[in-house]
Amino acid sequence: MGNALTIHRDQSNKEDVSGELIQLVSFKLDEEEYGVDVLKVREIIRMPSITRVPNTPHYVEGVINLRGKVIPIMSIRRRFGLSEVENDKSTRIMVMDVDGELMGFIVDSVSEVIRIAQHEIQPPPPVATSGIDQECMSGVINQPERLLILLDLEKMSSKEDRKMLSNLSI
Amino acid sequence: MPLEIEDQELLEGFLTETTELLEKLDDDLVTLEKSSGDPDLLNRIFRSIHTVKGASSFLGFELLVKVTHKTEDVLNRLRKGELTVTPEIMDVILEAVDLVKVLVNDIKSGDILEREIDGTIEKLIPLLSTSVVETPPAGPASPEGSTDANKPVNAKGKKKKSEKVEPVPSVTEVDVSDVAVSAESQLVPPQLATQSPVKETIPPAVPAKQPAKAIESKGGEDLSDNTTVRVDVKRLDDLMNQVGELVLERNRMIQLNSNYQGEISLDSFPEDFSKLTKRLNFVTSELQMQVLKMRMIPVEKVFKKFPRIVRNLARDLGKEVDLQLMGEETELDRSVVDEIGDPLIHLIRNAMDHGLETPEERLASGKPRCGNLLLAAAHEGNQIIISIKDDGKGLDPEKIGRKALEKGLITEEQLAGMMTREILDLIFLPGFSTKEKASDLSGRGVGMDVVRTNIKKLNGIIDIKSELGKGSEFILKLPLTLAIIQSLLVEVEGEIYSIPLSAVLETLRVEQKEFHSIGGKEMLKLREIVLPLVRLERVFSVKRKGEGDGSCYVVVVGVGEKRVGLIVTRLLGQQEVAIKSLGKYLANLTGIAGSTILGDGSVALIVDPVSLVEGNEAGSPGR
Repeated sequence: MGNALTIHRDQSNKEDVSGELIQLVSFKLDEEEYGVDVLKVREIIRMPSITRVPNTPHYVEGVINLRGKVIPIMSIRRRFGLSEVENDKSTRIMVMDVDGELMGFIVDSVSEVIRIAQHEIQPPPPVATSGIDQECMSGVINQPERLLILLDLEKMSSKEDRKMLSNLSI
Repeated sequence: MPLEIEDQELLEGFLTETTELLEKLDDDLVTLEKSSGDPDLLNRIFRSIHTVKGASSFLGFELLVKVTHKTEDVLNRLRKGELTVTPEIMDVILEAVDLVKVLVNDIKSGDILEREIDGTIEKLIPLLSTSVVETPPAGPASPEGSTDANKPVNAKGKKKKSEKVEPVPSVTEVDVSDVAVSAESQLVPPQLATQSPVKETIPPAVPAKQPAKAIESKGGEDLSDNTTVRVDVKRLDDLMNQVGELVLERNRMIQLNSNYQGEISLDSFPEDFSKLTKRLNFVTSELQMQVLKMRMIPVEKVFKKFPRIVRNLARDLGKEVDLQLMGEETELDRSVVDEIGDPLIHLIRNAMDHGLETPEERLASGKPRCGNLLLAAAHEGNQIIISIKDDGKGLDPEKIGRKALEKGLITEEQLAGMMTREILDLIFLPGFSTKEKASDLSGRGVGMDVVRTNIKKLNGIIDIKSELGKGSEFILKLPLTLAIIQSLLVEVEGEIYSIPLSAVLETLRVEQKEFHSIGGKEMLKLREIVLPLVRLERVFSVKRKGEGDGSCYVVVVGVGEKRVGLIVTRLLGQQEVAIKSLGKYLANLTGIAGSTILGDGSVALIVDPVSLVEGNEAGSPGR
């Protein structure tokens, strides 16, 4: 009896750990909803004027002045090979902390901050939707009324990109 | 052994003071060698070492105390006139000072290692023990002899050195050389061999030994710490004043705004506003100057390392060199000061190794046997000019060309088409060396490449002047600061770019039909030269906004002797801009050196003239 009880408690402990709540910022690209860890997001701003930077990959939109700091801006649509749309009122730039540097990502709109439990995150399906790189996807959240794709934006500007960039600049 | 000092503040004070003293010490010691017997200088050196000793014994750094104590003793004997300054003694003292630096660095890093110090101390001891056997009247001969006895191999070189020593009546120059020779052959205490009045001789207590291990020379070199700044209180007060002014102007602005909002005195608003703008402009530019000044340090900080380096090199190479420093008080931004040390060392090494000849060669070519090396710094407009000039054999373009061919750095045709100036530039190519064999000093072909890369990193340019047989001069032109530059704003099909003004030579308005095409490249005849053109819109793949009216502007930029014309749509004017980095992700873009923020808050990219000039040379303008 005693043994069984202990085991039970252990399980409930585990349950607690994996049931830890995490907060995600959800945003939209086309009709799909995505989420990123709120702790990585520094701020969300409207579209300022962007200065184009020559000789960069097509998805690097340019640079902006964020209160005296110059930060690069990337288009997630272009990065994922989605069709391009005109920027409108709801277009936003999410300024994120990527490897200690600030970087902006253009999204169609930012919806809300949501809380989900760790265990709700499922591994990404083997076949990615709409050309999104498998490696940028860190999981899927399947809720009754919505499907949220969890992105790891640090991967988006990861080694290969940097390598590509440094090759470009030779 | 980890460092355990409770009073962190005390320790920091000790480190700051010691570092400063040691930095000065190197310079003083080398000066002392030249002007031997300057009592003031000697006393100052003595005091420095004494201070270091006192402080370290108070804090309980035993190793440091041991070394400084012995060094102090030797210096004390020099001070009392019991020893005379000779290069040998100086070598030992310098070695001891190096050791002190290593030990201080250990303390700084917070981890005291068990360093081998006996080797150096043993070298110091003979300098002390001879005092016992020596009587002051023996004068200059004794120290000469005693060091010879310790290092018999060096004895032959003595004759020349002892000439510098003021002879004491009882000992003539001939005697001195006799001492040297006898010391060499017999290895007995020299005092026995001299006729000088010796009452009692006691053999040196500790026999001289070769050092167990030389201290790595690099370790002690750089003690300078750039994480903290010492600022003149006056400058700080001035800054405070300026900030006060700024606050005042801000208040006026708020006032003005509320007046405007409340529609009070609307009539005078334009005038008030323009006054305010002027004042604000004045205050901020003053403020900018003040802050800039605080970052300025005299170039002396770098220069003072060199007498020591030159001295050691001269001795290693068997050359006689007189180093002159000029304009040490010239101030420049600390970021620049930090970066020019290495290139200057390489250039000095280069001048001493390749430029200056040995005394024999110099005499043969009718020059004084002692070579001259001049290191000078000066302000010139918004730039600082540092020049390294020697009166050696100069650069031989023919030899350089031949070597570059041999090493496969250029082709025969390329060489044939080069002007002398361009050939001289070949020495900056990585892998170039005129030496057959690499020594520990030079010959690997990296030094000059390092020089050029570092100077380029600082947005500087490097110029060579050379006359065969008469000497050569390397001239570095560096910006005063790296943070703010004067720039020319230009428009390229609607996009704004900023070109560093330091690279701009002139601007022209030309008709497109005046362009010529040579081998598919656009050129412009500008007076007597043919100027290659680069279309910025093509390099930066800017979308064309339709054909213009056929005329455009050409900005002539120059890097070294190379000139290139950049074609732009419009000139917008000159502006002082603060350089902002593009971050890691966008670093190293061709043709882009950084970015800046314009008055309207938008970002403009700063053009990198160097890569454009060179990109043009490589035959690929644009992509």
